[in-house]
Amino acid sequence: MIEFQHVSFAYEKGREVIRDLSFRIGDGESVGLIGANGAGKSTVMKLMLGLVSGEGKILVDGEELTKQNLSLIRRKLGFVLQNSDNQMFMPTVYEDMMFAPLNYMLSREEAEKRVDAVLGRLGLQELKYRHNHRISGGEKRMAAIATVLAMEPEMILMDEPSSALDPYNRRLVINAIRELGQTKLISSHDLDMILDTCDRVILLSGGEIAADGPAEEILRDRALLESHHLELPLRLADK
Amino acid sequence: MNKMEKALHELSEMDDLAALSSPIHRLHPAAKLITTILYIVVTVSFDKYDLGGLFPMLLWPVLLFQLSGIPVRTCFYKLRIVLPLVMAVGLFNPFFDRAAMLTLGGVAVSGGVVSMLTLMLKGVFCLMASFLLMATTPIDSLCAALRRLHVPGTLVTLLLLTYRYVGVMTEELAVMTDAYHLRAPGQKGIHVSAWGSFLGQLLLRSMDRAQELYGSMLLRGYHDHFHYAPIRAFAARDGIFTIACALCFALLRFVNVGQLLGGLVMR
Amino acid sequence: MHMADALLAPAVAATMYVASGTAAGVSIHKLRKDDEPQKLPVMAVTAALVFAGQMINYTIPGTGSSGHMCGGMMLSALLGPFAGFLSMIVILAIQCLFFADGGLMALGANVWNMAFYGCFVGYFLIWRPIMRSRLFGEGKGAARGRIVLASILGCVITLQLGAFSVVLETSLSGITELPFGAFVALMQPIHLAIGLVEGLITSAVLLFVYESRPELLQCVEPAEGESAKRSLKSVVAVLAIVALVVGGGLSLLASSNPDGLEWALFGNAEEGYAENMGLDEDDFGVESAAAEKAGAIQEATSFLPDYAFADSDTPAGTTVSGVVGSAMVAGVALLICLAGGFFRRKKAQS
Repeated sequence: MIEFQHVSFAYEKGREVIRDLSFRIGDGESVGLIGANGAGKSTVMKLMLGLVSGEGKILVDGEELTKQNLSLIRRKLGFVLQNSDNQMFMPTVYEDMMFAPLNYMLSREEAEKRVDAVLGRLGLQELKYRHNHRISGGEKRMAAIATVLAMEPEMILMDEPSSALDPYNRRLVINAIRELGQTKLISSHDLDMILDTCDRVILLSGGEIAADGPAEEILRDRALLESHHLELPLRLADK
Repeated sequence: MNKMEKALHELSEMDDLAALSSPIHRLHPAAKLITTILYIVVTVSFDKYDLGGLFPMLLWPVLLFQLSGIPVRTCFYKLRIVLPLVMAVGLFNPFFDRAAMLTLGGVAVSGGVVSMLTLMLKGVFCLMASFLLMATTPIDSLCAALRRLHVPGTLVTLLLLTYRYVGVMTEELAVMTDAYHLRAPGQKGIHVSAWGSFLGQLLLRSMDRAQELYGSMLLRGYHDHFHYAPIRAFAARDGIFTIACALCFALLRFVNVGQLLGGLVMR
Repeated sequence: MHMADALLAPAVAATMYVASGTAAGVSIHKLRKDDEPQKLPVMAVTAALVFAGQMINYTIPGTGSSGHMCGGMMLSALLGPFAGFLSMIVILAIQCLFFADGGLMALGANVWNMAFYGCFVGYFLIWRPIMRSRLFGEGKGAARGRIVLASILGCVITLQLGAFSVVLETSLSGITELPFGAFVALMQPIHLAIGLVEGLITSAVLLFVYESRPELLQCVEPAEGESAKRSLKSVVAVLAIVALVVGGGLSLLASSNPDGLEWALFGNAEEGYAENMGLDEDDFGVESAAAEKAGAIQEATSFLPDYAFADSDTPAGTTVSGVVGSAMVAGVALLICLAGGFFRRKKAQS
């Protein structure tokens, strides 16, 4: 469970990117974070992960995020970056997946077991020993998700997981996301994907919440979406 | 294909070769590293006129090429960088060192020519040896071996990370170079007005990238040290290989095998 | 300037390994005292960037040829001397391992020639003193002037030191018959020109960084309150200095290469290393140019006595058996190849 209580944040003095933001995400929820470019989606994620710190309180499982418990809290959160290259810094997929479990003091055997399980679940066994710079964009994205799953986080944050993928790979990623049991927070402009993967949507605008409610409801509201530089998902536009 | 794409191609070619399987590939990386360095040191230590003694050193790379199934062609492509430099230095020798050294079928060969040929052979042999090392050893195993050989972790981790990002950066610059030339037809290189910004833009972006990378390392529990790929223990056969190679090199170094063989036949 | 293994004697190579290794040890120690975990990703990404950046062709205005960047000076201005040195080591290692640019045994020497001078001499004796000085006055314009001056001076001086080391190492190794003086006279002027171009490229990149993110540069405080007049003045001053250095360099060059043949020979060889991935292999005019050049040198140095060496007692018989033996070695090599091919085919069939 994650809770934001009156959180504000500014990269430069006087120019707040996040303004007095409060919301709560319960266990097992899948939440889509949408909004125009510059609405503050990425910043919300960074705040949650403690990569930047602002004013107000952020609670994870009822515990306030501070410098002291940062590593404990980060252990619960998995973050899939938009640019997989920035995430996958080890030479091979396998080593990248081992990175987090080994850092969390798992033995090599346990970590390897975990890696194999995740790869099996995602159907990526053949990627295991491939080199990160030699796999395709779609494979890389799936592998990036796998590296995060190998941490066994309680909650998964994703930044544009479907960007720059072909329809087939996009569908693969969507199916993979749908099957994750964890709490999910997905930031994206791909509203069709949000519709497929999330029950609830938070619409950000200028660092504030413009709307928060069931995905089916918000993603059907043409006027609301268009006033925030967004469009109806294609699947709903036909009807 | 621009230069960066060619470089990328060369990198992936090495990766592919290293991913093959052969008795040589299966050797412990430390054994290969040590023998390669030994081979290079022995090769280079031959006297500059000892062409005949040096020549049999050819046998080792030839044997390795055959055992590992690595194509020689890729290796010779790489000679284009080393040879011109070695030649530029060696080519002066025939003109400064003109005393006749030996006669071949009535033609006197000067010491300079012999030393030039020796130098060039040394260049080719050393290149073949280090090429074979990299063509049969993936970078991650090599790094693990370096760590075992007590090369500081900072340097090994840096090598591993840099190698990973060399691919990413080279690709970005390849795209940028293409984009530049599409809008600047007829220019051979980057115009002076863009000298700073071309690389500078990428540099600034890279700094943000490095921050993001650091973030993603932290998020996965990184604090101060890296875990390397496990490599198998140094086995008896690795030891045997290393010692056998060392003995062969010693033999080739101190016994003029060419002379010996020739002597047997001539008698 | 990447040395090949063949150009070094083992003793020289080992000495250079010890020297470079010591510098690396000190750097690692310093880095650990700093915030190493945080610096590593920055170092890796910057090193990768410099590696790729070395492949960029920069058109040199008015010449039709192109210049390249080597990066030691740039890395130390961005990362500081210790992190910069380590990054440079890694770049050189990757070039040597994957692109056969420089050799495994020569790595120590290459690190010394290209990384040590660029990072330590370049930083402690040039970059830091100049950037901390009040040269050109206060303000942004002055800082720009200092960046240009430090980059150019740094690249020129460190490249000169590097080129001199190459000559020294090769001569100590007893590789070349070229007299030490002639070798120096060949290498230094060419590297003066290369250093100038590299300095200009480096300063252009660093100026760009200074304009957008000055905090990324070492020893640079983001200055407030710019005065247009002074900045113009200092730019003019810098240009004057640059012109002086360029002019001096070119005249030196002209006097030492009246026919420019060195350019044909070493220019091409340099191309091989500077281009790094050396893709202009078709225009290595080495052979013919070298022959002409050699002729020229032969004339110039004809007063030199022929070196006679103590090998006159080599009986002709030994020579012949050596040749026959070598032919047999070649035969054995061929046999190995044939056998290898045979077994592979057999394996493929089964």
